[in-house]
Amino acid sequence: MAPLIPQGIINPELNLFFALMLGVGFGYVLEQAGLSSAQKLAGVFYGYDFVVLRVFFTAGITAMTGLLFMNYLGWIDMGLVYINPTFLYSAITGGAIMGFGFILGGYCPGTGIVAAVTGKIDAMLFVLGILIGIFIFGHFFEAFDGLYTGHFLGNIFVYDSIGISRSWFAVLLIAVAITAFIITQMIEDRVNRAEASLISSRPSYFMPSFLILALGIIYLFLPPERASSFREKPPEKIWENVIAGKHMVCPLKVVNQIKNGQDQLKLIDVRSHEEFGEFSLPGAVNIPVEEVLNSRWREFFRNGKREKVFFGNGAGKAAEAYITASRAGYERVFILEGGLNRLFTEVFTDEGIFDTDNRKQARQFFLDGGVKR
Amino acid sequence: MNKNQSSYMNPYLAGFLLGMVLLASFVITGRGLGASGAAKSLVLSVVGSSAPEYASSSAFYADFFSGTGPMSSWIVFLTAGLILGGFLSGALGSRLGFKTERGPRIRVAARLWFALAGGLLFGLGAQFARGCTSGAALSGMAVLSTGGMLTMAMIFGTGYLIAYFFRKLWI
Repeated sequence: MAPLIPQGIINPELNLFFALMLGVGFGYVLEQAGLSSAQKLAGVFYGYDFVVLRVFFTAGITAMTGLLFMNYLGWIDMGLVYINPTFLYSAITGGAIMGFGFILGGYCPGTGIVAAVTGKIDAMLFVLGILIGIFIFGHFFEAFDGLYTGHFLGNIFVYDSIGISRSWFAVLLIAVAITAFIITQMIEDRVNRAEASLISSRPSYFMPSFLILALGIIYLFLPPERASSFREKPPEKIWENVIAGKHMVCPLKVVNQIKNGQDQLKLIDVRSHEEFGEFSLPGAVNIPVEEVLNSRWREFFRNGKREKVFFGNGAGKAAEAYITASRAGYERVFILEGGLNRLFTEVFTDEGIFDTDNRKQARQFFLDGGVKR
Repeated sequence: MNKNQSSYMNPYLAGFLLGMVLLASFVITGRGLGASGAAKSLVLSVVGSSAPEYASSSAFYADFFSGTGPMSSWIVFLTAGLILGGFLSGALGSRLGFKTERGPRIRVAARLWFALAGGLLFGLGAQFARGCTSGAALSGMAVLSTGGMLTMAMIFGTGYLIAYFFRKLWI
């Protein structure tokens, strides 16, 4: 299950090797497409050569479509994929400044670096300029801070910002791309009308564009993710597990894991956000019992190979969460036997499992302040 | 230049391949491609080691002084690959050689100054946008990030808005 390195399927030490290989592919394609030429790049703004738009847009919708399908099939955990955070005015300002940089310089950083290594002297100065620009940003870092870190809207998605569904947005974006391919070809033909040879050898966009549009439309009409993946578990099956006691995880196992800093078990705190805020077990995530079926946790439950252990103060809420999650078809879910109460009153010794502050709070909460439930 | 044009790859094929490289990057490492990040690492390293007093007074250089050092990071290896791949492709296509790319109406010296200024603005802008055309716009588009697509719209929108005033540089 992807992404392979964050999931631990590929050794993280190979990370840098893959970075190098991906970079080679990146640079090779940019140069092969002709993007190491400032004149070709600038053509997108003057209508004589739209190679940038073609390469850029095709790459964008290809990767987008690939990710959407992989996510749909459960092959990639998008929760582990880097989603560019949105700092509203910083993103706008940065984009506008880069627009000026593009017109004046004729390159962007990736293409500029490729152009520089193939011998373009202007590109070498462009790359030097990038370094100076970054230095200037660093010099005035504190002055820029308000703009740079202000208006943080989270790692939000553009379809949510616009208020349409993800699949519709994807199809619209593909349609916009294809329309742009067609129109820019017409503009290019007109601008270059003197050079007939160019027109006769122009690239055909029909096959790839319409293939990807077809994929987009298929995506649009796929049954909703919930329906397709909602494999409800029969109550008898859950009952069997409960009778056999297979749904319980021994507190000692959890203590061992915390002590050794391992993470085979994923601990899920089903108490409220407030209670979680006061303290929780190290490495736990907070999913209050009411939110277990929330769609944002679907990926979390469906992906990953670790056992997921619900815990609350006692066993009540954790049991509710267990039954809800099991009925929803989520596999490898368990309950921490006896909950936090048992953990603190019977299992934890005086050995330092938590750092002092955390421990003091926990102690107050459970022993001095009175145990809940 | 027109003679070379036929030897370039079909742009839609190139786009598809670039999309696959980008997808592979997400599948393997969980993140997209980028190019300006390595430039930042280089600035951090050079300034951090040559003027440590200056650098230690600024939060911008904090990464340089924290542990592993910025030059060993993922983005630096990606850019090393970018350099290798670009050079390889240029060599295979017989496109290596020193030259200055410029429009028909601009002198070489002026072109070089504008290239420097353009790079400066791009470097500055990429810091605000937390990525350049690759890291913010292209990768952001693939994951449908609002910020990434906003940055993309601003780069090209601004470009078209001001293209007329700088037409002597290119046509």
